[in-house]
Amino acid sequence: MKLTVNGRAHDLASDPLRPLLHVLRDELDVTGPKAGCQQGSCGTCTILVDGEARRSCLTPLALVDGAEVTTIEGLGDATRLNALQAAFHQYYGAQCGFCTSGMIVAAHALLERNPAPTRHDIQTALAGHICRCTGYVKILDAIEAVARGETFTETNGDRQPGVEESVAKTGVSG
Amino acid sequence: MKAVGARLPRYDGLGHVVGETTFVDDVRVPDGNLWARALRSPSHAARIVRLDTRKAAELPGVHGIVTHEDIPRNVYGHLEALGVPADEPLLAEDEVRYKGQPIAVVAADSEEEAQAAVEAIELELEERDTLFDIRKAFDPDAPKIHPWGNWFPYFGGPDEGPDRRKVRKGDIDKAFSDADTIVQGVYRPAAIEHCPTETQVALVVPEASGRLVIYSCTQAMYFSMGVVAAHLEVPLNKLKFVGGTVGGGFGGKVDTAAETLSGLLALKTDRAVKWRWTREEEFLASSTRAPWHMEIADAVTSDGWILGRKMLTLHDAGAYARFSPYGLTKHAFHHAGAYTIPNIHFDGFVVFTNRVPTTAMRGFGVTSVSFAVETHISRIANTLGLDPYEFRLKNANRVGDTTPNGVTLTDPSTVATIHAVAEAAGDTLAPEYAAMTSEPRSGPLLPDHLVTQQRDGRSAHA
Repeated sequence: MKLTVNGRAHDLASDPLRPLLHVLRDELDVTGPKAGCQQGSCGTCTILVDGEARRSCLTPLALVDGAEVTTIEGLGDATRLNALQAAFHQYYGAQCGFCTSGMIVAAHALLERNPAPTRHDIQTALAGHICRCTGYVKILDAIEAVARGETFTETNGDRQPGVEESVAKTGVSG
Repeated sequence: MKAVGARLPRYDGLGHVVGETTFVDDVRVPDGNLWARALRSPSHAARIVRLDTRKAAELPGVHGIVTHEDIPRNVYGHLEALGVPADEPLLAEDEVRYKGQPIAVVAADSEEEAQAAVEAIELELEERDTLFDIRKAFDPDAPKIHPWGNWFPYFGGPDEGPDRRKVRKGDIDKAFSDADTIVQGVYRPAAIEHCPTETQVALVVPEASGRLVIYSCTQAMYFSMGVVAAHLEVPLNKLKFVGGTVGGGFGGKVDTAAETLSGLLALKTDRAVKWRWTREEEFLASSTRAPWHMEIADAVTSDGWILGRKMLTLHDAGAYARFSPYGLTKHAFHHAGAYTIPNIHFDGFVVFTNRVPTTAMRGFGVTSVSFAVETHISRIANTLGLDPYEFRLKNANRVGDTTPNGVTLTDPSTVATIHAVAEAAGDTLAPEYAAMTSEPRSGPLLPDHLVTQQRDGRSAHA
């Protein structure tokens, strides 16, 4: 079976019924998607299959033969964050980080098909994505910021104040 | 002090948003790892009549099975450092006391093969009577479900007794005879599963020297090291813990879960072993916040003073003690809440049931009592027909007040907190209540029954 993951082509001889999650994590070492529940209930394993958000734990390999798969790693990296990654970082949408990959991938799919979602649209798109740390508000804030066109620089440098800059802004001194 | 008041990026935030943070399950070892699965008790309480792993060991892909016989020191207690005896086996030996209790673990080439072997282990049980409700543990005909009896008897240390946390202060009988009204309430918050998105997981890699490298999602690294070393009967230099990245814990990753048994399997097979709990296991067998049973009776006056409190607390430890006596101790410190009550009679018990052992969760032992106390305070205000803000502010802790444990308060924040709550709720306080501060009591705020509660908080602070 053929699979393109984050732009790289693979030829796989795995069990066709093997969940894509395990193929990605254990055969291709793509560990961004997480095994949170392995029964489609938590959203931590969410990936894009030809642009659509899917739960990789419930997706047998055979169903994605020939498909283009994108994981969190394919959206950007630490030196080149995409807007959602920058927004999650700046708005503290990630706390322990375990749900974050799936959240960002699902939000990415939403904005691709609906660039101007309401807060309710965002909540609906993320239904079934479990976060136990943030209480969701900061996640929704981050996605809304991208949706309303807030711009972020490519790295986390400028919009995200470092210590020195914060001190200057708040007048706190040591 | 550069960080105080500043809005700083999370130190690990960048890794999270690009999917590069390495959680335990993301660690890769050169020759790959075996996968562990556990045989867990299908029964809430039973005697183990027979346990036979021979057929399971012959199945394809199986590299090793560990039962209680393989564990250098099977029974270990979380509070042994305080002199409390041990009660919990790492793997069940002759009895199972909760559903999901581990009995054996298997290491195999794949999770599927490990699971097949688990299902091939022959287990014969003889069911026992069960106990799930802490209040019923005290009934004369309640089944005895723990070797120590139905409640924890070691609050004094290694020797049995006292069997409860006891707080006594003032003259409780006088408070109740002086009262205009007695207001009673019973509060029973239920168990809560922490439900981190990352289930319990460990990866243990044996080194040529015999040292074990343990990748752990624990919230308590050095404690977990001690637990593993105790069970394995090895010095700490035989263990290298790698941790600090936790996919949600909330208290549920304080008790050591997967590390020790993964380590025993790694030693037995001389291979790296990973044990990643399923979501079902997380709900079934990982520790929860305790259920509690709290009975409060307060002696109050018509004009809104609390003269005394009688309280009984039952803390559900589940099947084994673990940290529950510590949680109940914290609970006991806080049972008057943020209010000054001069006469106190408190008894708290740690009760055993056939539930999964309970543990810390975001304010170990304190969230339960805060819930009960604040609900009860509102209930008193309603009963007396008083404004709930004014009733709270009147009885609020002030500088120089003493707690049930005899601590003199130097910097209580009750008054400021109640003011902030009123403001956030958009409620306007009467001028004399809005003007209240935490300064030591005087005038009408220092009635006769509180005179003995006022000490010089400022000098205590100095």
